[in-house]
Amino acid sequence: MSVSKDRIGAFLFLVFSCAYGIYAWQIPLLPTELGISVSASTLPKIYAVVGVVVSLLALAGSFLQQATRPQGSSGALALGRTALLLVLMVLYALMLDPFGFLLATEVFLLAGYLLMGEYRPKVLFWASVPVVVVFWLIMTRVLGIYLAPGTLWS
Amino acid sequence: MIEGMLTGLSAALSWQGILYVMMGCLVGTFIGMLPGLGPITAIALMIPVTYSIDPSYGMILMAGVYYGAIFGGSTSSILINAPGVAGTVATSFDGYPLARKGQAGKALALAAYASFSGGTLAAVFLMVAAPLLAKVSLSFWSADYFALMVMGLTAIAAFSNRGQFLKAVMMTLLGIMLATVGIDPSSGAERFTFGSSDLLDGISFLLVAMSIFALSEALSGVLRPDQKKDVAAPSSKMGDLRLSREEIKDVAPVIGRSSILGFLIGILPGAGATIASFLAYATERNLARGEKKKQFGQGSLRGLAAPETANNAACTGSFVPLLTLGIPGSGTTAVMLGALIAYGLQPGPLLMHDNPDVFWAVIMSMYVGNVVLLFLNLPMIPYIAKTLALPKPLLTVLILFFSLIGVYLVSFNTFDLYLMVGFAVLSLILRQLNFPMAPLILGFILGGMLESNFRRAMMIADGSIAFLWERPLTLCITLVSLALLLVPLMDFLRGLKRPAPEAELSDNL
Repeated sequence: MSVSKDRIGAFLFLVFSCAYGIYAWQIPLLPTELGISVSASTLPKIYAVVGVVVSLLALAGSFLQQATRPQGSSGALALGRTALLLVLMVLYALMLDPFGFLLATEVFLLAGYLLMGEYRPKVLFWASVPVVVVFWLIMTRVLGIYLAPGTLWS
Repeated sequence: MIEGMLTGLSAALSWQGILYVMMGCLVGTFIGMLPGLGPITAIALMIPVTYSIDPSYGMILMAGVYYGAIFGGSTSSILINAPGVAGTVATSFDGYPLARKGQAGKALALAAYASFSGGTLAAVFLMVAAPLLAKVSLSFWSADYFALMVMGLTAIAAFSNRGQFLKAVMMTLLGIMLATVGIDPSSGAERFTFGSSDLLDGISFLLVAMSIFALSEALSGVLRPDQKKDVAAPSSKMGDLRLSREEIKDVAPVIGRSSILGFLIGILPGAGATIASFLAYATERNLARGEKKKQFGQGSLRGLAAPETANNAACTGSFVPLLTLGIPGSGTTAVMLGALIAYGLQPGPLLMHDNPDVFWAVIMSMYVGNVVLLFLNLPMIPYIAKTLALPKPLLTVLILFFSLIGVYLVSFNTFDLYLMVGFAVLSLILRQLNFPMAPLILGFILGGMLESNFRRAMMIADGSIAFLWERPLTLCITLVSLALLLVPLMDFLRGLKRPAPEAELSDNL
């Protein structure tokens, strides 16, 4: 039996709806909500039930429906590159506070270009340094938005 | 009304108004031209910019980006047969053959004229329809609003591509569920915060929009390089930009018909520029006779004018439910609704009375936007086309940067960036599983309003669900919602024995 994308999607949504439902039933009722018809947990409970019903329907549909042709998987290189870009975004978030906008962004852009296969020094320079500096100038000098220089230096 | 129109006109024709329209049209054209990036991405990227300016100008800017993106999508459709936007797929059917015949200039010029005519005629219809609908909707109660919200949500699911109905419903539900995170505004109870103070205010709309559209769109291009057409060098032979008198006579009725059709389809919640352009193309092909019919698909001017007119008219039409009922007609207007709410404005019948400056500025800016698109972009077509050669690796990283920093500059909280990465991963997985993204953002935006109207209606009805059928108006809307849900559900049940469809259009509803 082949596992279709529809089936995986429906199963994931079923799991999510169940987890959402468990938390929905744990939403505490405040004293002000006692005796009223609709509390803070009413609609989340309804959403969870509807979510379970819809995902079960989709799951049943995917079993009844003829299996779809297996679709070509993405190349390992593309997958690795995407994962590295995601890691780079997390690193950027980690770097922003200690290193400040200028350095963190410069590192993010350079590392991003290199990850995407751009190695020409001229392009790397022109597509990162002026972009960061001009953006920083617009933000701080034109729009008056304060960008912290980084806790590491201050 | 006249006073409101004059207020709107003064905002749209002020130097800031014209500047923002020009900026929006240019940025939208550029982003719309890049395959894979649609108007939703273009608008999502501009939201942080609009936060720092007046709401009227913010909406003018976003409306300009919207038209620009649709126009830009046509440019890449015609020149390199790679529609930047789902709404311009039909444009490539005859636009690209024209470019291959060495008539790229004529095709681009006709696309510009058709867009201008469709957008301008639809703006006239909007000016008449919006105030009328706003007046009618003033008599709406909470129960009617709740029913309307349900209708808006079911409609987008019902209009989803074949085989995607349940997926669209699941995505809508996911969006509604995400909207429940944070402190409940009615009771003050904490919901789904897991003890994190960062989630007390809920998840920001900008964060969700940027993650599921801009971030995941850019990352999808990296993940599936074989499935996305690489940005190719545009055709060097532009040819003459002029149209002959016979050609103008030939396409004029097409533009008239497609404007009306596009506008009416645009009003329907869920049916956006994509459906309008395909329907207009099909209508014109069916109406054509003899030699004219044979030309469709081979470089027909009628075949190019119809979808180009209809998609712009539909964009304008989708503003009707947004401005008058507070219900977005498409994924793109859903993002704009979120932006309006972020401004502290409540789109709906009261918008025209409480904020006539914003209401009329948006409508009036549509005329200016269409003129700008025509006169600014037409002479610049050869130069704009050259930007299609921008290296994709640089563009991808820059989109990631602008998305991240756009959210960070609003909250200055790095937790939002981690959350963005999480949402990007989630939407990448969902995209791989062929889930449409537009219903998610629609559910997320309408979720809060749905709940507050439901609670208010229940309170008025003393806890009875009978409010759904007690008033004829509510009953009508409820029945329409039910019909919208039941029709595709029956289709789904009937189609269980058929093989599942493989190819699906993008989610630019």
